[in-house]
Amino acid sequence: MRAIFTTRKALPMAVCGLALVVASGCERPPPQSTQLGYRGVGMVEYVNPRILAAQHRANVVPAPLPAAVPVPTTAGSVYKNLKVLGDVPITEFTRLMLAISEWVVPKDQWVNGQGCVYCHDLADMAADTKYQKVVSRSMIQLTQRANSAWNMHVGPTGVTCYTCHRGNAVPKYVWTTSPGLAKASGQVTTLQNRLSPVPAFSSLPYDPMTTYFDKDTNIAITPPKPVRVGMATTVNTKQTEWTYALMMYISRSLGVGCNHCHNSRQFADWNQSTPLRTKGWYAIRQVREMNQKYIWPLNDILPASRKGPLGDPQRVGCETCHQGVYKPLFGAPMLKDYPVLGQPAKAAAPAAAPAPAAPAAVKTGAEVAPASEAKVTARAGTTEGVM
Amino acid sequence: MAMLSFERKYRVRGGTLIGGDLFDFWVGPIYVGFFGVTGIICAVLGTLLIVWGAAIGPTWNLWAINIAPPDLSYGLGMAPMAKGGLWQIITMCAIGAFVSWALRQVEICRKLGIGFHVPFAFSFAIGAYITLVVIRPVLLGAWGHGFPYGILSHLDWVSNVGYQFLHFHYNPGHMLAITFFFTNALALSMHGSLILSVVNPPKGEVVKTSEHENTFFRDDIGYSIGALGIHRLGLFLALSAVFWSAVCIVISGPFWTRGWPEWWTWWPNLPIFG
Amino acid sequence: MAEYQNIFTTVQVRAPAYPGVPHTEGQRDRVGKPIFSYWLGKIGDAQIGPLYLGASGVFSVIFGFIAIEIIGWNMAASVNWDPWVFMQQFFWLGLEPPAPEYGLHIPPLSEGGWWLMAGFFLTMSILLWWVRTYRRAITLGTGTHLAWAFAAAIWLYLVIGFIRPLLMGSWSEAPPFGIFPHLDWTAAFSIAYGNLYYNPFHMLTIAFLYGSALLFAMHGATILATSRYGSDREIDQIVDRGTASERAALFWRWTMGFNASMESIHRWGYWFAVLVVITGGIGILLTGTVVDNWYLWAVKHGMVPPYPPTGVPVPDPASLPGAL
Repeated sequence: MRAIFTTRKALPMAVCGLALVVASGCERPPPQSTQLGYRGVGMVEYVNPRILAAQHRANVVPAPLPAAVPVPTTAGSVYKNLKVLGDVPITEFTRLMLAISEWVVPKDQWVNGQGCVYCHDLADMAADTKYQKVVSRSMIQLTQRANSAWNMHVGPTGVTCYTCHRGNAVPKYVWTTSPGLAKASGQVTTLQNRLSPVPAFSSLPYDPMTTYFDKDTNIAITPPKPVRVGMATTVNTKQTEWTYALMMYISRSLGVGCNHCHNSRQFADWNQSTPLRTKGWYAIRQVREMNQKYIWPLNDILPASRKGPLGDPQRVGCETCHQGVYKPLFGAPMLKDYPVLGQPAKAAAPAAAPAPAAPAAVKTGAEVAPASEAKVTARAGTTEGVM
Repeated sequence: MAMLSFERKYRVRGGTLIGGDLFDFWVGPIYVGFFGVTGIICAVLGTLLIVWGAAIGPTWNLWAINIAPPDLSYGLGMAPMAKGGLWQIITMCAIGAFVSWALRQVEICRKLGIGFHVPFAFSFAIGAYITLVVIRPVLLGAWGHGFPYGILSHLDWVSNVGYQFLHFHYNPGHMLAITFFFTNALALSMHGSLILSVVNPPKGEVVKTSEHENTFFRDDIGYSIGALGIHRLGLFLALSAVFWSAVCIVISGPFWTRGWPEWWTWWPNLPIFG
Repeated sequence: MAEYQNIFTTVQVRAPAYPGVPHTEGQRDRVGKPIFSYWLGKIGDAQIGPLYLGASGVFSVIFGFIAIEIIGWNMAASVNWDPWVFMQQFFWLGLEPPAPEYGLHIPPLSEGGWWLMAGFFLTMSILLWWVRTYRRAITLGTGTHLAWAFAAAIWLYLVIGFIRPLLMGSWSEAPPFGIFPHLDWTAAFSIAYGNLYYNPFHMLTIAFLYGSALLFAMHGATILATSRYGSDREIDQIVDRGTASERAALFWRWTMGFNASMESIHRWGYWFAVLVVITGGIGILLTGTVVDNWYLWAVKHGMVPPYPPTGVPVPDPASLPGAL
C-alpha cells in the first residue's frame, strides 16, 4: 500500500519534470514563416522572431565617418610605399585609415587615442616592418577584389573590413585545418563522428572547409543518369557525407535551412532551386579564391599565433562574414560610404599563388572519387531537360 | 445475403448515439447508422472535389495529381477554390469522414457489447492527421503549412519540411516514432508467427497450446508476455508510433526553428560534463 | 462508458513458476530460477525466465558481445579513452567502414579493419540466433514461421551491410556503427542516389511499415475489446470459434464490409511485417547497382508531379558561357 502511494505521487512529478526539461529545450510559437516555392511543396523558411531580434541587436553597423573633402592631391604623391591606394585622394585615404582603425584594431591596442600603431611603425609609417601592415594591404586587395569581381555574390551591398572584423584584429569566425579531434595514438581519424558546430552539430565530417575551400574539390555528387549502365562506378555515399557536411556548414553560417537554396526533392536540379543558390555557387568559388590567392601567400609572414595547429593560416569561410545571418549585417550597405573598397583591385595583387600547401592530415572520403564524372551531372541533366 | 451463418442473432436494434432507429440498418454486410450517412456524404464530396482538383490540374497521372494547400499569404482565411480552397474543403470533408467512421465504430461496439478500443485507437490516427493539417498550420498561422494531397507531392512536402531542419533524423520525436514503428513491426511479426506456428505445426504434429507459446519465447529470450499482454503491447506500440509521429511534426516549426542536430546540444552541455 | 476496458490486469494470480513444456530432452538446458515482476504482471505475464541455453544461443551471445566490444572500444579510442568525453559525445561517436580506396580489400585495423571484424561477429551472432529460433520451434513441435520472419529481417541486414557493398565493389558503401553516424549515412544514402522517396520499393516498405502499425492497432484493439468474451485465447478461438471471434469478425464486417478470421488476421500481420523488410531489402539492393538516381528514374517513368514555376528558372552557373 505504501509503495503504491509513493509511486502515485512520484509518477506525475517525474512526468512534469520530464515535460519541463523537454519544453525548456524548445522555442515557443509562432515563428515567422516565408514561402519559397510553389504552395504545398513545403519550401518554407521558419524564423524565430526572438532569435532574429537578438541577431539584429548583434549586427549593428557603425556610423560612417564624415565624408572627406574632395581634393586633387592623391595619397601616393604625399606618402611613400603605397602599392594599392596610391590613386586615392589624400583626404579619402586618411578617412579610410581612420575607419580601418575603428573596424579592425581592438580598443585596448590603441595608443594615445589612435589605432595606427597596430600596423604601422611610428618611426617610419611607410615601412613594411610589421606583418600586420602587409596583411592589411593584402586584405584591402581582397576586399576590392570581392567587391569588383564577385558581384554575383556580394551584389551592390558589397563588403568592407567591418563585415568580417567587427572590431577584432582577427575576425571571430575564421578556420584552420583540423588535425583531427583528440583520439588514441594509433587510431586513424575519419574527421567525422564527433560533436562539432561545423556540420551544425551533426556527426558528419567536421572539417569540410579544408576539403572544399583550399582545393577545388568537386561538390556535386548527384548521379546524372537514372539508371546505371555497366558496372558500378559511382561509389557515392561517403562522398555525399562530405558534401552534406559542407552544406551543413553553409546552412549554419547563414542561419538558414536547405530550402533557402534547394528544392530537396532533387538538390542538384538548378531549375527547381531558388535564385539564392546561384549566389552560393559564386560564394564558394569566391571563398576559394580569397583563401588560395590572398591568404595562403601570407602564410610565411604570419606569426604562429595567427596559424592553426598544422601551421596553416587562419582562413575565411561563409561564417566569417555571415556570422549566422543570411545576409551579413542584414544587408546594411556599408560599401557605398567607402567607395575606395569597391575599386578594382590593383594588378599589383598577390604574388603568384602557390598551390595551398594543404596540411591535410588525411585524405578525405570526398577527395577519393573522381571529380570529373559528377561534374557532368548538371550539364547532362540540363540537356535532358530535367535538371 | 451477405450474412455469415452466425450473424443473424447479432443483428439487433439499438446502440446508436444519434438518430435512434432511423438509420439503424445494414446495407449488405455494412452497418449504416447516422454516422454512416454523414461519413458517406463527406467521403463522396471529398472524393469529387479531389477529382475536380485533378481536372483543373495539369495531369491525370495518378502519381502526379496534386491538390495543394493555399499560399501562406492567405493566412488562416479561405482561398479561392483553384488556389487552395479545394484543399481546405477536402480537409474538412476528410476530418468529417474520419470522425464519422470513428463514431460509427462506437455505435457498432455498443451494438456488439464489446469495448471501445478500436475507435479509441483510430482516434489517434485522426489526431495525427488533424495535427498535420489543422493544429500545426494554426500554430504557424497559415493553412498553407498543411501537406498537399498527392501520392508523390506529399513526399516532396515531407522531404522539404524535413530538410528545412537540416537533418530530420535528429528530431527526437521522429526518433521515437521510428523506433516505435520498427518495434511494432517486430512485435507484429513475432505475434503473427507464434500464433501461426502453434496452429500450423509440422505434418503429423497436433495443434499446440498457449503453454507452448509461452515456452517458446521463454526458451528463446527468457520472457513471454502472454496471450493477452501481447495485444496490449501491440496496441501500445502502434499508438505510440502514431502519437510520436504527430509530436515530431508539430514541434518542427512551432517549437523549434533551427537544425534538429543542434537540439541535442543540451546533452553535452549538461553540468555533469563540466 | 466508464466500464472495465481490460487495459491492465487488476487481479494477478500467482501460480508456482512453470519451467515450460518439456522438449525432446525434458527440461534440459533451461536455466535460471524464474522470478515474478508485479509491474510486468500489470500488462502481461509476471513470470521472467527460465532461459534455454543451447550452443547456438551461447555462441550467438558471445559473438554479439565481441561485436559490441569492438564497436565500444573503437569509440572509446576515438576520444582518447576519456570516459567523460565518451559519455558526452556518445551519440556522435561511430565506427566507420573502410574508405572508398580500399574497395573490397581488407584494410589495416585502424582504417576500417575493426569495422569489418565487428560486422563479421555481429553477422555470426545474428545467424546463430536464427539457428536458435529455428531449432527451438522444431524441438517444441511448432511451425518455423518465426525463423522465416527473422530470416526476412536478416535479408535486409545483409543487403545493407554486405550484399550491396559487394555489388558496388566497396565496403565504404556500408553504414557505420553508431547512433548519429548511422543516421547521417541514411540521409546521405538517400541524397547520393537522388532521393529515396522516389524509390518505389521504399514506398512499399513505408506502406507496409505503416500498415503493420495499422494492423497491430486494429488487431490488438479488437482482441482487447472482445477479451471479455475470451478472445485472447486465440488458439481456442481458431480451432473452435466462440462468440468472441464472432463479435470481432462482425465488428469489422459491419465497419468496412470485410473481416479476417481469428487465424487469417495473423497471416495478414505476418505478411505485412515481413514485407517491410523484404521490400526494403529489394529497394536498397537496386540503389546504386541498377538505379543511380531515383528521382530521375521517376522522371523517366512520368511519375513526378509538375509544379508551376514560381520565378525565373535558375541556370547552372557552370553551364554559362565564361563560367569559372
